Amino acid sequence: MRFISRYTFVLFIPLLVWGFASCKEEPLGDVEAISGLGGDVVVPTAIDNWLMDSITVPYNIAFKYRWDQFEFNDVSKTLVPPDEQKIIPLAKVVRSAWIKPYIDQVGLVFFNKYSPKFFVLSGSVQYLSNGAVVLGQAEGGRKIVVFDVNNFITKQEAGYVPARDSAVVKEFVHTLQHEFAHILHQNILYPVEFKTVTAGLFQGENWINVSNTEARQDGFITAYASSGFDDDFVETVSIMLIEGKAGWEAILNAIPEGVSANGTSKADAVAKLRRKEALVVSYFKTAWGIDFYELQARSRAALQPLL
Amino acid sequence: MKNYYNPIFLLCLLAGLMSCEKEDSVFEQTADERLNATLADYQSQLSGAPYGWKGVIYPGAGGVYSFYFEFGDNNRVTMYSDFGLESAATPKESSYRLKAMQTPSLIFDTYSYLHVLADPSGSVNGGENGDGLKSDYEFSFQPNPDNPDELTLIGTKNQTRLVLIKATQEEAVAYDRGDLAKSFVFSNIGKYLTYFKRITLEGKEYEIAVNQIARTITLTWLEGSTVSSFTTAYYYSSTGVSFITPFVNGSVTVNGFSNITWDETKLSLGFTAAGTSLVVKEAAKPLKVDVDAPKRWYNAALAEDTYWVSETGFHLNGVDDAFNVNSLTNGTAYYYFYLYWPGYGPNYDGFGPVFVNDNALALYYLDAPGTPTFTNDGRVLFSGLGTLGTYPTSGPALAIRDYLYGSSGFYLIQLSDTTYDMVSADDAKGWIHWEK
Repeated sequence: MRFISRYTFVLFIPLLVWGFASCKEEPLGDVEAISGLGGDVVVPTAIDNWLMDSITVPYNIAFKYRWDQFEFNDVSKTLVPPDEQKIIPLAKVVRSAWIKPYIDQVGLVFFNKYSPKFFVLSGSVQYLSNGAVVLGQAEGGRKIVVFDVNNFITKQEAGYVPARDSAVVKEFVHTLQHEFAHILHQNILYPVEFKTVTAGLFQGENWINVSNTEARQDGFITAYASSGFDDDFVETVSIMLIEGKAGWEAILNAIPEGVSANGTSKADAVAKLRRKEALVVSYFKTAWGIDFYELQARSRAALQPLL
Repeated sequence: MKNYYNPIFLLCLLAGLMSCEKEDSVFEQTADERLNATLADYQSQLSGAPYGWKGVIYPGAGGVYSFYFEFGDNNRVTMYSDFGLESAATPKESSYRLKAMQTPSLIFDTYSYLHVLADPSGSVNGGENGDGLKSDYEFSFQPNPDNPDELTLIGTKNQTRLVLIKATQEEAVAYDRGDLAKSFVFSNIGKYLTYFKRITLEGKEYEIAVNQIARTITLTWLEGSTVSSFTTAYYYSSTGVSFITPFVNGSVTVNGFSNITWDETKLSLGFTAAGTSLVVKEAAKPLKVDVDAPKRWYNAALAEDTYWVSETGFHLNGVDDAFNVNSLTNGTAYYYFYLYWPGYGPNYDGFGPVFVNDNALALYYLDAPGTPTFTNDGRVLFSGLGTLGTYPTSGPALAIRDYLYGSSGFYLIQLSDTTYDMVSADDAKGWIHWEK
């Protein structure tokens, strides 16, 4: 009897334990069958293959052009997806006017390490309640939202009207350079002196009521630059890159004579912008080992044929 | 010995029951399996239709638009749309996908003719900037298991209704042949010189009015001496024009117009309605004149001390803005609209162009018609008392004034509380649209 009793315990206790354990070890089920898990699956088109081969594989950048409402900040806004015909021309501009100058100057490793990785495209602009429109947005150094893709047209395409279309292309490249400059200074901060050059003249949220000309009279390269320190820095960088040396000089020379509403003289405004220029150049040299004037020449040369 | 075993067996059984209690759902499959099956069903329903689908969409801003879709099983869709002549004649391919959102959804995920309606840019579709025509391109399926030949979808953003009906082989051939574009000859009805147009159906005369922007057709007829009217939205199809609401009057039922023909030299439109082939005829007068309309029009503005506005001036003999008032300028100020202001002065009205100068409205000169005469047969007659400001001695302002005074008066056709058309009583070949 005693023997039997021992036997049963030896036999059944493991069985019991196994019984409990077996339920815990049960497979999770058909995980792969959860609808939409891992993203939507669509049959790749020629455009998808081109993007994969030309942008995603070499630069680790994805383009999302199929409609997904939740990639856009404000779901209450009416937007439309882009026309497929616009995707490759746009991606080619990204490659030629922004990626290539940086890679030629600094190399693929630098670029792939810091570049934003995700582009989301909208066919239309985003209208704001005050009648203004949004052309581009960037989030967290990773994602760039590009609006108005359906009106994007470069010089090489039929139906290009310079007065209307060149501004769209230029503004687009401006956005790219602007956001990338943000990423750079978020990794290594620009010289503190930069914040003091136009101290006391920043407009903050009021920048939307300031024209570019008024901003330049105070030593800011654009109205948006007057909104804060960081945007002042990246606007200075991006305008220098898209306008080139000659364009930059032309902007400085075009600052009207006289004194601004805030009491800045033309000579003072030009001196402030020159100081910012010098600080940008030295920042790129010391922080990243980049010859800024060479990069500027490359960037402008790459943009020129598209305008 | 047996007794000894039992409690242990029981314990073992109990443990097994408790721990392995599986979700004994009322369904045989998991929610994911059922969702995937539903999506697959909709996918095969869409791409399995051998001759595609006819679609009709009702955007929030009004109007009705028709489409023809051919869904492939590779996320590609080809469509035609009756939004314009080009989209009716040229197929466009774009992308779509089915997705489990809150409910099974159909998303047209790259730009297509469907997105033209939803585009927030007013320059694309004539809607308000920021809204477009309040249409959709992301839809949820409304379950309709009883009728696999029809699908109703509701837009996610604007709740636009899109109804899909399986097309026949004949229809598929017609769309690919460009018959949808051919139906657009119906829009030539806008080229008739007279404001009033009539058709005769089964011996009864009907006045037909077509609003091509709102896409409505209004039929007006007399029952004895009372006026009856019927308005329906319409869209273009591969066979002609289709009514959203069929017109029924006694034994006559009209679902639309087919076999539409247009004679450019005679400016004559013909079509088949209710099995009868007929021709649209010009008319110089309404079927029944609304005798009180001129007074209503005049007093509506007078009572509120406001004025009637027309941006386009007179349409005359088939020409929009025949007097070219849109070309008026005054210094740097440019033309905005023409106004008629009842009771502008103590015994006179105001009629003249309003300009925009430096973002503000400006009135530089006015014609001063006396209080108009309202005749017993429902016409309004204008005559001038003088002018205010420096009135031009030539050009559009003079020509439009002469037309206002020179003819034998106007009929007023009330379209809504705030809109009237003022039609020349001479021959009905000149009219102006007033809104308040």
